[in-house]
Amino acid sequence: MRALIQLRPSADLIAAVADPAVSVAPADVAGDLPGFDLDHDFAPLSVPDTVAADRAGARSVVVRGQIPDDDLDATVARLTGTRGVAGVFADPRIETNLTCGGDPAVGTWHDVQTLLHTGDLAAGGMDGKSVAVAIVDTGVNAARVEQARGGPVTVDAARSWNPPGVSGTAGQFPVDHGSMCAFDTLIGAPNATLLDIPVLQSKTRGGSTMDGLLSDALAAYAHLRTVLTDQPEATRTLVISNSWGAFSPDWDFPVGQPGNYSDNPSHPFNVIVGSLEAAGADILFAAGNCGRDCPDSRCAYQDRPIGGANSHPSVLSIGGVDSKGQRVGYSSQGPGRLSDRKPDICSYTHFLGSTVFGAKEPDTGTSAACPVAAGLVAAIRTVYPASKLAPAQLRDLLRRTATAQPGGFDYDYGFGVVNAAALLAELKNTEIRA
Amino acid sequence: MPLLTVRLSSDATLAAALRELHLTEAEVDLDYGLVAVDPDQHLYALRVSDAAATRAAAVSDAAEIFADPRIGPAHDADPDPRSPRHPPDNSAPA
Repeated sequence: MRALIQLRPSADLIAAVADPAVSVAPADVAGDLPGFDLDHDFAPLSVPDTVAADRAGARSVVVRGQIPDDDLDATVARLTGTRGVAGVFADPRIETNLTCGGDPAVGTWHDVQTLLHTGDLAAGGMDGKSVAVAIVDTGVNAARVEQARGGPVTVDAARSWNPPGVSGTAGQFPVDHGSMCAFDTLIGAPNATLLDIPVLQSKTRGGSTMDGLLSDALAAYAHLRTVLTDQPEATRTLVISNSWGAFSPDWDFPVGQPGNYSDNPSHPFNVIVGSLEAAGADILFAAGNCGRDCPDSRCAYQDRPIGGANSHPSVLSIGGVDSKGQRVGYSSQGPGRLSDRKPDICSYTHFLGSTVFGAKEPDTGTSAACPVAAGLVAAIRTVYPASKLAPAQLRDLLRRTATAQPGGFDYDYGFGVVNAAALLAELKNTEIRA
Repeated sequence: MPLLTVRLSSDATLAAALRELHLTEAEVDLDYGLVAVDPDQHLYALRVSDAAATRAAAVSDAAEIFADPRIGPAHDADPDPRSPRHPPDNSAPA
């Protein structure tokens, strides 16, 4: 285990350590301590000597190192008895406190606007105007979203679609999760046109409130293909935001069975996702809220919770960070089941935004992170249609310009946190404007 | 009620799918109908009863059965703030 050793060397040496102008190597202070693997990169520190507190102004020096776990007690006893050693202390790993479900909001949607550089986007004509964003969710309540954002919301009822048995009107569904997603999309793309696709309203055969069946999403995607292909090829755009997933293997055929969904690229829903992306759609999926630190209670996969289309190679799988850029503890970690390097990137969540769940309740989950990223994509599509910048190219740009963790890709943050400023700079360089 | 996919060479209608799969209207979800999964590959899907899916897959090489799992929002509607926070699992891949 890692340990700190407090030493009481000569007064001259203590004075040298305390003097910022003097460089003292750890070995100069510690010498050869039995059973202690000295960290030569950790500069000795001068600290008050609490053991000798009766001696006013007395000081000592601390060095860092490693003690073998298999001989811990004996080594500590030996070190404690060594001449010049005043104490041996644990040096435990410290962690930042990750944001979890139930925690208060971290910032507001205005902070997210700033982080997305919406002013720069708007100055470049990138506000989502004429770009269709399909909100595949529980349905949108446009009046509530308008109230929350203090601005108009455009829902295209003609191109919206209901699953069989769902009779509500586009833009007039009860206030719920879908309204949060709509609000969060419009942060980055305030003038986008929303297509209301309430697949989670389905009550088909055992479905309950706030869930549906994958077959409903399959039918929705068949509809969205017509939405896409009805547009002129040169200006074709369609962004599809999916803040949902299948969270239990109990709902699926076993992995390895030919009809399985979670791990099977040949499942019809995974096929239609690939087909729609190939036709020019930008498809974003929430990575899910099954992060190891504080997972959603519904998470039933023992490992690799990003599965099915949420891990499809042709979609952007979106993890969540708070407005300070720190991963939220519930954001699902990779690797993905259909493709290894998931999540792709992280976007912002857990901010005070739509308030659809209460005046002080934040927009949470990768459910919020996904439409925030979808809004940024829609803003870009205002100027760069799929004919000029294919969905795969845009995904690559988003990954390359994301603010990565040290060491690059990891399974917590993917390729990093979305970086709108870097993305805009890169787009300017590519000279692919329509 | 699983998903059943079928490849239909030209006549992509529900009636043609029922003929190909030897199914009756009572065995399929008529409201759901015939969904085009990938028209370029002539691939379509239906929602059918378990028994009908098994029988159709047995009689037609063009049919395959797939799971139709429940889906839900990626949002914990009722998070428990008292739920334990798991310490970081350092054995997990970095």
